[in-house]
Amino acid sequence: MDFNDQIESSGDEEEITAEAVLKTLYNAWQNERLSPEILPHCNEMVECMLGQIQHMERNINKLPKTDLRASIHKMELSRIKYIICNYLRARLCKIEKHCIPIINEERQRIESGTNYLTPSEYKYAQEYLLNMEGHFKSVVLDKVPGNMQTFEMNKMAIYPNLQSHVFLKANETVNGVVLDLPGEQDEEIDLEEGSQHILLYKPVADLVKSGKVQLI
Amino acid sequence: MFGEKVIELIKEAERNPDTMDPFNDEKLRQILEEMQLLFKMNMNDANATSENRSLWTTVQVRHAALERNKRCLLAYLYSRMNKIKTLRWEFGSVLPPDIRELLSDEEYQWFSKYSTNLATYMRSLGQDIGYSGIDLTENLKPPKSLFIEVLCVVDYGKLELEDGDVIMLKKNSRHFLPTSECQTLIRQGVLKQIT
Amino acid sequence: MDPYEIEFIGENRLVSVIPNFTYDKIYLICGEFGPFRAGLPMNVPLWLAVMLKQKQKCRIVPPDWMDIDALETIKEAEKTSRFFTKMPNEHYMVEAKLILGAAAEDIPRAGEIKTIIKDIWDIRMSKLRTSMDTLMKSGGSYGRLDHLTMMEINSVKPLLPSAMDDLLRIQSMAKKTIQPSLNTSSFSQSGSSQNI
Repeated sequence: MDFNDQIESSGDEEEITAEAVLKTLYNAWQNERLSPEILPHCNEMVECMLGQIQHMERNINKLPKTDLRASIHKMELSRIKYIICNYLRARLCKIEKHCIPIINEERQRIESGTNYLTPSEYKYAQEYLLNMEGHFKSVVLDKVPGNMQTFEMNKMAIYPNLQSHVFLKANETVNGVVLDLPGEQDEEIDLEEGSQHILLYKPVADLVKSGKVQLI
Repeated sequence: MFGEKVIELIKEAERNPDTMDPFNDEKLRQILEEMQLLFKMNMNDANATSENRSLWTTVQVRHAALERNKRCLLAYLYSRMNKIKTLRWEFGSVLPPDIRELLSDEEYQWFSKYSTNLATYMRSLGQDIGYSGIDLTENLKPPKSLFIEVLCVVDYGKLELEDGDVIMLKKNSRHFLPTSECQTLIRQGVLKQIT
Repeated sequence: MDPYEIEFIGENRLVSVIPNFTYDKIYLICGEFGPFRAGLPMNVPLWLAVMLKQKQKCRIVPPDWMDIDALETIKEAEKTSRFFTKMPNEHYMVEAKLILGAAAEDIPRAGEIKTIIKDIWDIRMSKLRTSMDTLMKSGGSYGRLDHLTMMEINSVKPLLPSAMDDLLRIQSMAKKTIQPSLNTSSFSQSGSSQNI
């Protein structure tokens, strides 16, 4: 993470500036847009930005409407709102499309405290699935012959394609990434800091989640 | 032939990615009828197959047709469901009447539930800090401080811009204005965009 | 991603402007800028520079690389190199489009500059097309593309990644024995689903 000069260190905690949070949110947005699966959430950062927006909106209201500074702040706020909305919407799209596997996997992740979804998102996912099931039942399933009426979760599930290719940039040097290529041999490559590659998502999924590489 | 009608349904759903046909109640009813018929025939023959193995293939074919019908019907619903979702993002929670007509009653019910679910989620954003929630359906395009050239087609009078400038909109006058502030007037026909 | 999304990212880059007004520092969420002193150059994000320019509140100072000689050098290097050379920055196209679009009068020889930048882009895109072709023909599942900018990479999406996805699928299937199977796949949408 990028820290600028104005960080205060108070004991163990370091204060992270709004600027740094925004930068990280940009990266999270990019990754979320470009990855085939849902990534761990960045809720603290979203909330931090919402707080900044709230604070800034109050300040703008104190300025005369015609003040140039008001226009500048308004423009910045609409930019930040755009990023937040686009980021959250990208997540909702994935949650909707892959709701069945996401709910299943999230159930396990919640138990180990490594959830990818925020509580609100999880609730959204469950409600969405319930509505879809209800809809299918009332229009079709309840009206088909007896033994065919079940909503078959495993058949309805759409899994994210982890075998898709992505572009990435290495934020730091990562050695020994194993590409499972279709040929017999598995190749091992090193990702030098700053280098860019196109390759299968699956072998680098963890590197994306840990911030060692950035999808581009 | 079994399973043909359901393909027509699918074709209807997939014909145009940007538009939706009215919900085809009639076809759905016919296909469900076909399924009941197939099922009944199978029930009869299934009892007989324990003695007569030659019926076994027929039963299998009918069963395959049943499964296919079920799968395709759900695909039809699913395809429409996805389109209905985009309606919420485009039109908001109130659909224009000509669009509402295209949905079956059940689909409209689903739309309402989807809409409510989305609203609940959006309200939850920033709840902890007392922020009034952010509307994800706005802010879908990156903001641009774009200026466009417009022609004023009627005598409108004074227009006060957000930054305080006052513009006189006389018939046939041309102006270079921020896009966001012209949109309403363009929609109302007062201004015309000159590309 | 859409080009306008990449443009949005590129708009965060700092550029130099000369304001025609005087103001104290402003404290934006993305950083502090100023103070603004009429006639003195200072740095602001590109989106702000464009906005101020449109409101006729500043002049935009062309970045160092937006100069005929510098660009000719870059163009030559790109022509002669087999690989992609490093561009002045990650968002040179976004900067070019926005600055030349909003403030052409502030850029000396703007017309010629536009042309050279377009030439550089064309050379690189042509190299990219050739590389894609080579990559696919070699049965590629992996490629290295240093020094390509986001906008350039985006221009080959979804073509290149999805072609590689399909190639992989074909190669994997060729290895499997064909089994009579109940089709248990779900509602696949243009092949983007994968049964695990």
